[in-house]
Amino acid sequence: MIDTLIIDGLSFALPLFIMAIGGIYSERSGITNLALEGLQGFGAFFGALWAVTISYYFDIPIQKLYYLALLLSMVGGMLFSMIHALLCIKFKANQVISGVVINILSMALTTFLTTQINIVAFGELSDKFQIGTSVRFTIPGLSKLPVLGAAFKNLYPFEIVILFIALIAAYVLNKTGFGLRLRACGDNPHSVDAAGVDVYKVQFKAVLISGALSGLAGICYTYSILTHFSPSIYMGYGYLSIAALIFGNWKILPTLGACLIFGFARSGGYVLGQILKMPSTFSDLIMTLPYVLTLLLLIFFSKSNRPPRALGEIYDKGKR
Amino acid sequence: MYEYIVEMKNITKRFPGIVANDNITIQIKKGEIYAILGENGAGKSTLMSILFGMYEPDEGEIWIRGERVKILSPNHAAKLNIGMVHQHFKLVHNYTVTENIILGVEPIKKLGGLIPYVDIDDANKRVAELSKRYGLQVDPRQKIENMTVSLQQRVEILKMLYREAEILIFDEPTALLTPQETDYLLDIIEELRRGGKTIILISHKLEEIKRVADRCAILRKGKLIEVLDVKETSTKTMANLMVGREVSLDIDKKPAQFGHVVLEVEDLRVKNQDKVEVVKGVSFKVHSGEIFAIAGVAGNGQVEIADAIAGLTDISGGTIKLNGVDISKYSIRERTIEGISYIPEDRQSYGLILDFTLAENLALKDYYKEPFCQKGFLNKEVIDEYGKKLIEKYDIRSSLGVDTQVRQMSGGNQQKAIVAREIELDSPLMIFVQPTRGLDIGAIENIRKMIIEERDKGKAILLVSLELDEIMSIADTIAIIYNGEIQKVSPAEELTTKEVGEYMMGVTA
Repeated sequence: MIDTLIIDGLSFALPLFIMAIGGIYSERSGITNLALEGLQGFGAFFGALWAVTISYYFDIPIQKLYYLALLLSMVGGMLFSMIHALLCIKFKANQVISGVVINILSMALTTFLTTQINIVAFGELSDKFQIGTSVRFTIPGLSKLPVLGAAFKNLYPFEIVILFIALIAAYVLNKTGFGLRLRACGDNPHSVDAAGVDVYKVQFKAVLISGALSGLAGICYTYSILTHFSPSIYMGYGYLSIAALIFGNWKILPTLGACLIFGFARSGGYVLGQILKMPSTFSDLIMTLPYVLTLLLLIFFSKSNRPPRALGEIYDKGKR
Repeated sequence: MYEYIVEMKNITKRFPGIVANDNITIQIKKGEIYAILGENGAGKSTLMSILFGMYEPDEGEIWIRGERVKILSPNHAAKLNIGMVHQHFKLVHNYTVTENIILGVEPIKKLGGLIPYVDIDDANKRVAELSKRYGLQVDPRQKIENMTVSLQQRVEILKMLYREAEILIFDEPTALLTPQETDYLLDIIEELRRGGKTIILISHKLEEIKRVADRCAILRKGKLIEVLDVKETSTKTMANLMVGREVSLDIDKKPAQFGHVVLEVEDLRVKNQDKVEVVKGVSFKVHSGEIFAIAGVAGNGQVEIADAIAGLTDISGGTIKLNGVDISKYSIRERTIEGISYIPEDRQSYGLILDFTLAENLALKDYYKEPFCQKGFLNKEVIDEYGKKLIEKYDIRSSLGVDTQVRQMSGGNQQKAIVAREIELDSPLMIFVQPTRGLDIGAIENIRKMIIEERDKGKAILLVSLELDEIMSIADTIAIIYNGEIQKVSPAEELTTKEVGEYMMGVTA
């Protein structure tokens, strides 16, 4: 029972975490990013599309395209995030509206494209790309540990990929010159400009990174919870990751904590349902658990929150 | 070799509706402190923004170290070893001093020869060295958000020094500093000059120019009036040249004619945010036709008294009576209606809405009344008409008249707008907090005259000022506050500046 809780909790929490890191990059550079939901959806669509296409035409088993799909979903997320970057940075649009519109656009566009491509390319009437679940593996030795051993059992390979990327992301944000400039943009872009650094470029890169990381998160859900790409990827996980990064105060480590809480709340809910022998129709109710938890956490954490000072501000060089 | 390190020849810069710089030529020698003096809006900042690459001049040439250059960006200016401390600091608040300084020029090392990282320890050492060499007393590891304005400014200076700037531009560096901090900054500037730097000081404060500068260019309405040798020129001459007419801060005023009691404050107590009592049982009366000044060193409770009377702060005890009515429980608007005009210390936060137009700001306390508002709708024409009237009457200068965004106006004209609005309320009590802070000499003269005019009309004036000169020159009655308590209330003519100064320091005989 505990094993299930930990295994499912982690596999849900880690994609959430990498998406939240993307959000942190964007928001600490000063660009509000509500588009994570749409970005993860589009990224997943892009990765899944190429996986099924290559598999279909070259007759390669889809499981062999796993890492390619991860990579391509990052490219997809990045491409789609360029809309947000262009609107917010180049055209100085309202960042909240841009984010929300991208979410709606992403959902409508991928639903339409999935159905059409299925008809045209594969001759099927379906709104899904079937890609199955990824294979799992267990780390020998460590998995034998009592209780915590479950964290090393039945792992999806993407969990390792995510942890690796998260480590790099944390290093870049906190230790490199790029990270220093990025975080400065979110506090006082004028200071960055005065230091001779192009604020727009930094922000553009930050938004693209958030797109890539969201795309990765999306394909991870496709390979685990969903087993296919379909509009049901738009379950609000993007919003949940925003909640996580806010509870984590726009810092990477505390955000991991928030993601784990959400992950375990969700898997704990399922375990609870099984123990209580609830009918499966109640599982929808259990799915609301992370969101109810969000509302509760909001009450306690909002006071100590310190968002980046220039978050959401449209940076205009001329204005003093 | 070159004779001048900086030469700006025949610079002209036009903005829509205004010629900000009209054929200006200045030549600056290496190692001198060169002041640029002028009223607000005279074109000083524009000229220096051109030198710093923020604007491109419409006409004219710039020569640096004997070579003709086109300065296209602040970045480019930095490459020519030009640095600038802006009026509004450009600092990242949640960064340390060092992080701010290295931003954009981060020293990079490689972890294991491979993975790059910012070498903050090395930078910390360099910053500490620079700070020590010029006596700046800055801790490289301190965060900006925990620092005073004066310290933040020194971080800006360090930023320039770290980038090896040779030509340092200071844009009104003392505007936000206390007198002690100003002294300290001027010492630093002299120290920098001894270190071989060339300094350009933009200012409208004559005393500081007199103290440190070698030469001084006087700008008026975009034109270069004269370049003077500071040692051989009196501040009086400089003031007259700057304003373009005889100015005098020795204002003639008629003897006061006190009338009835307008404001009666009894046992007033105010607590600050940390629940510490900062006004400890203060009582006084202000009569109509009286300028009642509260003198004191900053932070002794004087601003809280003014805020409490205006309704910005809750009181924790005592009563405030206006014409016999207890207003201590009234809301701010009720107090305004009852008869209080208020010119706040922080004019940009409490006096104006910077992104609104001038006309809107001028109607800010009346907008809900007829005829500005008819059946719930604002009448723009009436508001603009009223704005035009006030602009005319109070000589408020701006580029686009009533439609000017207040943010774009100079400090002096912003203050004039507030004073105009508040005088027009025709309130029996007017509270002025630091009314001439940051203004140039012409504007100061103007505002002080207005205050006296209002007194002569029979208004009761409560003046809170940190400038002892101001209090001595216009007050009828002086109250000196120290540590939240009034030490002494006396007719102005019975006190000398020295005595007031002593009471301010709490040295009571």
